[in-house]
Amino acid sequence: MKLSEAWQLSRIPYGEVVYRSIAEEKGRMWWGAFGRNHPGKEIQDELELTKRALRIAKFDKLVVAIFNIVVSAAPFASSFLGAPVLNLSSSISLSLAITFGFTMLYAIQTLSAFVNAEPSVLLSTLPIGRDDFSLITIFSFIRSIDYMVIGSILSQVILTAYLTSSPIATLIMLGASALNAVFAVAVALWFSKVFQDNLLRGGRSKINIVLRLIFILMWGLLLVGVGLMFSVPLYIVPNLETMLLSVGHISNMLLRLLYPFSAGTVIGATTYSNVPFTMILQAAVAMVTYTLLAVMASKWILGTIKRISKEGGVKITRVTAKDFSVKTHRPLLGYILKDLKVASRNPATAFFFVLPVIETIIIALLISNFETLRTSVVLVATFMGGIFALLLPLALLSAEGRGLEYTKTLPISSRRIILSKAMLSTATYVTVPLALVGLSLVKPAASFSAVLIPFLITIAIASASIIEIKLFLGTVVKGKINAIINDLEKLVVGIFTILIPECAYAASFLTTFDQSFSLLVMAGTVLVELVVGFYVLRR
Amino acid sequence: MQSGVSVATEPLIETFGLTKKFGSVRALTDLNLRVMPGEIYGLLGPNGAGKTTAIKTILGLLEPTSGWLKIAGFSPTKNLIEVKSKIGYVAENPIVYDSLSPRDFLEFVASIRKLNQAKTNATIAHLANAFDMTQYFDSPIATLSHGMKQKVALIASFIHQPTILLFDEALNGLDAKSSRIVKDLVSFQAQKGGAVLFSTHIMEVAEKICNRIGVIHQGKVIAEGTLEQLRGKTGGNDGTLEEVFLKLTHEEAEVADTSKMLREAFLENEIV
Repeated sequence: MKLSEAWQLSRIPYGEVVYRSIAEEKGRMWWGAFGRNHPGKEIQDELELTKRALRIAKFDKLVVAIFNIVVSAAPFASSFLGAPVLNLSSSISLSLAITFGFTMLYAIQTLSAFVNAEPSVLLSTLPIGRDDFSLITIFSFIRSIDYMVIGSILSQVILTAYLTSSPIATLIMLGASALNAVFAVAVALWFSKVFQDNLLRGGRSKINIVLRLIFILMWGLLLVGVGLMFSVPLYIVPNLETMLLSVGHISNMLLRLLYPFSAGTVIGATTYSNVPFTMILQAAVAMVTYTLLAVMASKWILGTIKRISKEGGVKITRVTAKDFSVKTHRPLLGYILKDLKVASRNPATAFFFVLPVIETIIIALLISNFETLRTSVVLVATFMGGIFALLLPLALLSAEGRGLEYTKTLPISSRRIILSKAMLSTATYVTVPLALVGLSLVKPAASFSAVLIPFLITIAIASASIIEIKLFLGTVVKGKINAIINDLEKLVVGIFTILIPECAYAASFLTTFDQSFSLLVMAGTVLVELVVGFYVLRR
Repeated sequence: MQSGVSVATEPLIETFGLTKKFGSVRALTDLNLRVMPGEIYGLLGPNGAGKTTAIKTILGLLEPTSGWLKIAGFSPTKNLIEVKSKIGYVAENPIVYDSLSPRDFLEFVASIRKLNQAKTNATIAHLANAFDMTQYFDSPIATLSHGMKQKVALIASFIHQPTILLFDEALNGLDAKSSRIVKDLVSFQAQKGGAVLFSTHIMEVAEKICNRIGVIHQGKVIAEGTLEQLRGKTGGNDGTLEEVFLKLTHEEAEVADTSKMLREAFLENEIV
C-alpha cells in the first residue's frame, strides 16, 4: 500500500476516535433537554454531531497547537527583554520542559480514546494486510498529535535560529525538539495505557484507586506548571542560567546531565565562547544517551501501536465478584458518590478534583511573601480559589455523558441533581478556608476577618454553583464553540456571585473602617445570595 | 400466548389520542392504549414504526404533542417522579454509565430509588446469579458486551419490583438462556398483577409472551387484540403472527416482490 493511501485511510480510525470523544460530550452540549423537550431537535442534532466531529477536532487541534507555540516561546521572552545570549541555555531548557508537559497533557486526553476505543475495528474487517493495517493505525495516531508537535518544533527551531544565527545550534535544536516530542508522546501513551488498564480492569482493589489518584495528581502538578510559567521569564531563567554554566557544584553538573537541560547547555555552548570543554562534553554525552533513549522510545511507541491494531487496545482482566451486595445511600449522597466515581474515571474531567490542591498551593505561594495573613491577600486568594471551584459543576455535567439518558428515567428531580453537583463543588472549595486556618497558625492573621472571609465565601460558592448549573440546564446549544461560549456565560455569572460579597466587604470597610460591620455586610450579602440560589432552584 | 390474571379493573397504562411530532415528522398518531393489571401487552411493529417514541412518551421522557396519559393513576406531566418510581424501563440500546461497574451502577439506582438495602441485595443476588454476572459484576460497563449491558439494565429495571415494566426491544443481544429468564420474569410480573408493555419486532416473542398485541405501523396502531382476533381481522383462522402482521401492514405483496428480486440477483452470481 502506498504511504499516501495509508494516510488517506487513516482518516477513518482517527475520525472514529474523534467522534467517540465528542459523542461523550453530547449529553452536556444538549443538557437543556433534561428540563424541556425540543421537538425535532434530537434527530437533527445527531446528524449535525456526526458531520461536525472532524471539523471540531481540527479546530481543537489548531487551538492547542497555537497554545503550545505560545508556551514554547514564553521562556525566550527573557532573551528579547534582557541580554539575548546570556539566557539562551535556560530558555531552551525551559521551553523544552514546558512543551514536554503540555504535549504530554494533551496527548494523554487524546490517546486515552485511542488505546481504548478500538478505533481500527472498522477497517479490520476489510481485506488489508497486517503491515498495511499497522501503518494505517500509526498514521491515525500521528493525526491525533500532528499540529501540536509540528507547531512547537517549528517555534523552537525558528526562535533558536533567530537568536543564535548559528546553523549548528538550529540543527541541534531541531533534533532536541524532535526528541522532546518523542519523549512526551511515549510518556503520554504509557500513562494512557496504565490509566485505561487500571480503569478497565475494574474490581474493588485499593491499589487501583491509589494509582488512579496518583495519575490525577500528576495532571494537577502539570497545571501548577502553568502558574509557574508566568514567572519563568523574570525569575527562573536568570537563576537557572547561572546554575547551568557554573563549574563548581556537583548539583550543577547533574543538572547539565539531566534532560532537557543538557540540550540547553549543548546549544548554548555553540554560541558562548567561554564555556569550559568538560561542561560541553558532559552535556553532549548526555544528549547522545538521550538520543539512544528516544530511538528506543520510538520503537516502543510503534510496537505499542501495532499491538493496539492487532489486539484491539487494552487487555481486559476480569475480576470475579465474591458477592453481589450493594450499599444503598440517601438519594442525594448516592448521586454525589456516582458523580465522584464517574468524573474521577474520565480522563477529561478527573483533574478537576486536584483543583483544591492547586488552590492551596497558590494561596500558600501568595501568602509566603508577607509577614502576616493580610485580609486583602485573603480576598484575592479566596476569589481565585472560587473560580477554580466553579469549573467543577461544568466538569460534572460533562462527566454525565450519555449516562444522563438513563438518569432521566429514574425518580429523581433535576433540583436534587443540581444540589448534589453544587454540594460537590462547594466541598472541593472547603479546603481553602481550612488551609487558611492552618496558615494562620504559622503566619499570624492581620485581623479575624482574614480567617472568617473564606468561610463566608464558601456559602457564596454554593449559591454560585446552584445558579450556574440551573442556568446551564435551562439552555440548549448546538456545536462546540457555542457550548464553550455557553460555559463561559454561566461561569461569569458564578464569578460575579463570588465577587459581589467581596466587593460588599471592601466597600463597607473603605467607608467605615470597621471590620466587624464589614463582615456583617458580607455575611448578609452571601445569605441573600443563598436565598436567591434556593429560590432559583425551587422554580 | 399466555393467559394473564387480572386483579383490578383500572388500567395501569392508559393513553388517549396520544400524538408526538418531531418538527414536521409525526412519530406517533392518536395512540389509544389500555394495559390492565396482569396483562402483557406487545407493541409490534417494524423498525421506525414509533414503538420507542410510544414508550418514551409513556415514561415521560418525551412530552406528547397532544393527547393525555395516565400511569397507575398518575399523569407523567404532573407527577413525573411518582410515575418513574412505579416503572422499570429497559431501552433498546442499554445506555448506562460506562465508567461504573454493574455494582456501582446498581448501588446508584438503588440509592436514587430509596430501596431497602437487605431486600435489594437479595433481589440483585437472585438476578445476578440467574444472568451469570459473577465475572462481570466489578468490571466497568464499558468493557461489557451488548448482551451483558442489557442484563445490567434488566437487573436495574427489576430491583425496585416495579408495578409496570416498559421493555423496548429488551431481548436484543441476549443469549438463549437469558432471553428465557427475561420471558419468565415478565410472566411473573403479570402473575403478580403488574403490567408489561413490551415492544418488539420479533414475532415469535410477541406470539409467545404477550396476552394482547398492538400492531403499530407508521406511528399508528392499525390493529389490536389477541393473536386469534388479529387473525380474524385478516380474514383467516390460521397463519403465524408474521403472516398476519404482513397482511395487516399491507406489506405481503411488497415482501414477495423483494424476495423475488433478491433471489434472481443472488442466484445469478456464483459463490467465489
